[in-house]
Amino acid sequence: MSGVVSRRPPRFGPRGSPTRTAVRDTDRRAPWPLAVAALIIAFLALLPLVYLVIRAFGAEASAAAFLLRPRTFGVVAGTLGLGLLVGAGSIGLGVPIAWLTTRTDLPGRPMWAVLTAIPLAIPSYVVGFAFLAFFGPRGALQGLLAPLGVERLPSIGGLFGAALVLTLVSFPYVSIATRAAILRTDPAVEESARLLGDSRLAVFRRVTLPVLVPAIAAGALLAILYALSDFGAVSLLQFDSLSRAIYLQYGASFDRSLAAILALVLVVITLALTWGEGRLRDRAGTYASRARRPPTTVALGRWRWPAVAFLTVVVGLALVVPVGTIAWWLVRGLAQGEPLRLVVDVALNSFLVGGIAAVASVALALVVALLAARYPSRLATLVESSTYAGYALPGIVVALAMVFLATRTLPIVYQTLVLLVAVYAVRFMPQAIGGLRAGLGQAGRGLEEAGRSLGDGPVRAFARLTLPALRPAFVAAGALVFLTVVKELPLALLLAPIGFDTLATEIWDAATSGFYARAAAPAALLLVLSVGTVAVLLRFEDATR
Amino acid sequence: MSAVIRPGPAFAVQARGLRRRFGDVLAVDDVDLDVMPGEMLTVLGPSGCGKTTVLRLIAGLDTPDAGTIEIGGRRVSGAGASVPPERRRVGMVFQDVALFPHLSVRDNIGYGLRRDPDREVRVRELLELIALPDAGDRMPYQLSGGMQQRVAVARALAPRPDVVLLDEPFSSLDAALRTQLRGDVREILRAAGAAAVFVTHDQDEALTLGDRVAVMVRGRVEQVAPPEVVYGEPATPFVATFVGTANLVHGEYRDGLAVTRFGVVRLVGRGSGAGAGTTRRGLVVMRPEHFEVLEAPDGPADAGSWRILRRRFTGTEILYEVAAPDGERLWVEAGHAVRRLRLGDAVNLRLREIETVVFPAVGAHPATTTAPLDAGLAATPESSATALG
Repeated sequence: MSGVVSRRPPRFGPRGSPTRTAVRDTDRRAPWPLAVAALIIAFLALLPLVYLVIRAFGAEASAAAFLLRPRTFGVVAGTLGLGLLVGAGSIGLGVPIAWLTTRTDLPGRPMWAVLTAIPLAIPSYVVGFAFLAFFGPRGALQGLLAPLGVERLPSIGGLFGAALVLTLVSFPYVSIATRAAILRTDPAVEESARLLGDSRLAVFRRVTLPVLVPAIAAGALLAILYALSDFGAVSLLQFDSLSRAIYLQYGASFDRSLAAILALVLVVITLALTWGEGRLRDRAGTYASRARRPPTTVALGRWRWPAVAFLTVVVGLALVVPVGTIAWWLVRGLAQGEPLRLVVDVALNSFLVGGIAAVASVALALVVALLAARYPSRLATLVESSTYAGYALPGIVVALAMVFLATRTLPIVYQTLVLLVAVYAVRFMPQAIGGLRAGLGQAGRGLEEAGRSLGDGPVRAFARLTLPALRPAFVAAGALVFLTVVKELPLALLLAPIGFDTLATEIWDAATSGFYARAAAPAALLLVLSVGTVAVLLRFEDATR
Repeated sequence: MSAVIRPGPAFAVQARGLRRRFGDVLAVDDVDLDVMPGEMLTVLGPSGCGKTTVLRLIAGLDTPDAGTIEIGGRRVSGAGASVPPERRRVGMVFQDVALFPHLSVRDNIGYGLRRDPDREVRVRELLELIALPDAGDRMPYQLSGGMQQRVAVARALAPRPDVVLLDEPFSSLDAALRTQLRGDVREILRAAGAAAVFVTHDQDEALTLGDRVAVMVRGRVEQVAPPEVVYGEPATPFVATFVGTANLVHGEYRDGLAVTRFGVVRLVGRGSGAGAGTTRRGLVVMRPEHFEVLEAPDGPADAGSWRILRRRFTGTEILYEVAAPDGERLWVEAGHAVRRLRLGDAVNLRLREIETVVFPAVGAHPATTTAPLDAGLAATPESSATALG
């Protein structure tokens, strides 16, 4: 999940003057320790990007030629093609799902809304692994078909397989954004169009769809960003997108600058898309109306069962196939005496890294959130934007940059847990900032002022009143970072100490080597944790509302 | 404005026997409603009385369970007819504005003029009419609430509908803006010569805007009449207490006269001629301004004097709730001469020479006088309405 700071256009009053005169703390200056700490955090967040630029410019003159090689061009084109396929696919799945779960009398509507949101939380490489282990040449499907004499199934790798898997994990970006847009559109908007002479169909074409377009497009851009940044699924399914090419280049070549150049290409593409997504999201925000009525619903009639069939296929592919396949291999593995002990070790490693990173990340986020919520200024905006920009970088890019940086400047931390945890804490900080900011907004300065009027000093009032009030936000933010870190693959792959396996790297190792049974247990654990992510996110929404 | 000159049908809207049920609730119960061409009819009622449902039935956004609707002399609903909303020639302005967020002001206003060759001209004309001649290129979110609502009115008027329906269009705006916009919209609708149905729960709005006012409660229309008649000759006790402040005072009446504890009053309206020859008990409507408040001399209050319980300043007048020794309570209005009355003071009341209405007493009505319904004065500011200790 990525995002940039969104700024709404100002609303103007009757005489063109800003109507918002709410008291803001613009006159208050942030205490200098807070400002300095926030600046350091912003610097850390941007470090990979800065280093990558320096590194790429330091490359040999042959770098330009490398960039223009047909193979490089082919990789870029393939990556963009993958993005387009995933974008189109996620619109094709997400928009009908959003419409069916908000505007129709679909049986079991709330259930479908939840089921179709869960895939977003499942790591792409888990679904990728499951697809390999199910549809692959020697997968579960072949096993089921073996009695019929099927020896081998065609490969599901390549562009099609990668696009399918990435669509199945990223379409919820579109369905969730579109649902939200539908729910905040006043039904009277459509009714107005009817009364002005349009038929139902014309209203859909002239009003309903255009009003939803920014939200749909923003969701699709997020899905495309996901696809372009993805490392796990494309690697397992052996599609040469930029992130896989970066990894291969890094592993194979002596001149790592070439990997840095590929990484910069990917960074430019993703930052441009991130910017576009922010613009579209702002636009979608201006389309929201003060709706007080729920959306009007359409009776599906005889389309009822085709609609249910459609959702069943989507949920079947995105949830049932991964869960079923992993369960099948898990049972097979246990039957063959696959040791569970190993999984416990690996899980403890993951939890250790995730736990420390979560605590550190929330601490860093509190600094940024305090600055942004209490002392809004250009500095605060800059710091916040920097952390989000770091967050928008693809994981493989950050991993690569940190490998370079550590080996060059601080070899002592290279391949230590310290570096891994530090990178995680900085990278996933934006996930915690949002919730903490909202929490600080609710706790408000009034709470501390009440404390001070009763005799507390400023620091004491903050510690006695605000921090306890923020506890739910801390817990939710920490849980979110923890779960994200546990599921993260490329950084763990490149930065973890040798021999230190996590759930993610264990699945990757086993799946790339074809040991599906060995990958099943950690994958099953990650599936459970993914559902936990959704639960935390839902609680997060409640807590910040 | 050809719509006005054309010898059209007698009614812009004619609804007969409308009925609409939602589950157990009879939202609209046997409603008849006529709107004359060029007339502004306001529909006043507490929230949940079914007034919005009536609008939606007329617009075709909802279908009545029974009854018929004619718009511009054409049957659009009931008795086999069911004209979809887009072919009813009805304009509507919604409570929450509902402008098309993705279209400019110009395209919003021109939305219903797709096939009109004079689209540009008409849009410019309406922008002038709503006094926003230069706002055509702006987007809805760039406008203030009041401007948005004016654009919504222009958008509804653009295709020259037979009738414009307004569903509490100002309820989400602040008080000052509401008053101003009320005047603006009335002028705009006048200038356009359009018939309009304006739904509101605000009695000031209903009385100042309406050529006629329909008062609704619990799905039924209690009275349709010009505002001064609704106030002066309310048809039911509900109308009397919902529109303005009213005291219902016990009395006996016969042959157009009623006797109350304040003396004899002349009756008008429906009840006045009833009961010829026989004396009946009833409730006489007495408005606060029907009384003269006289400061009682100091000293022990005499048997006829009233004590002041509460005071309510409405901005233009002061209302007092007073109680008699026997417990009867009334709301009365004091002139400026007696502004310095305090809670607990004793006063004498004298009834001015009035004409009013009486409702036959039935068991269902409260035995004592009723205070003004809170709904009636909910919008007016209160001052020092402290209860007597």
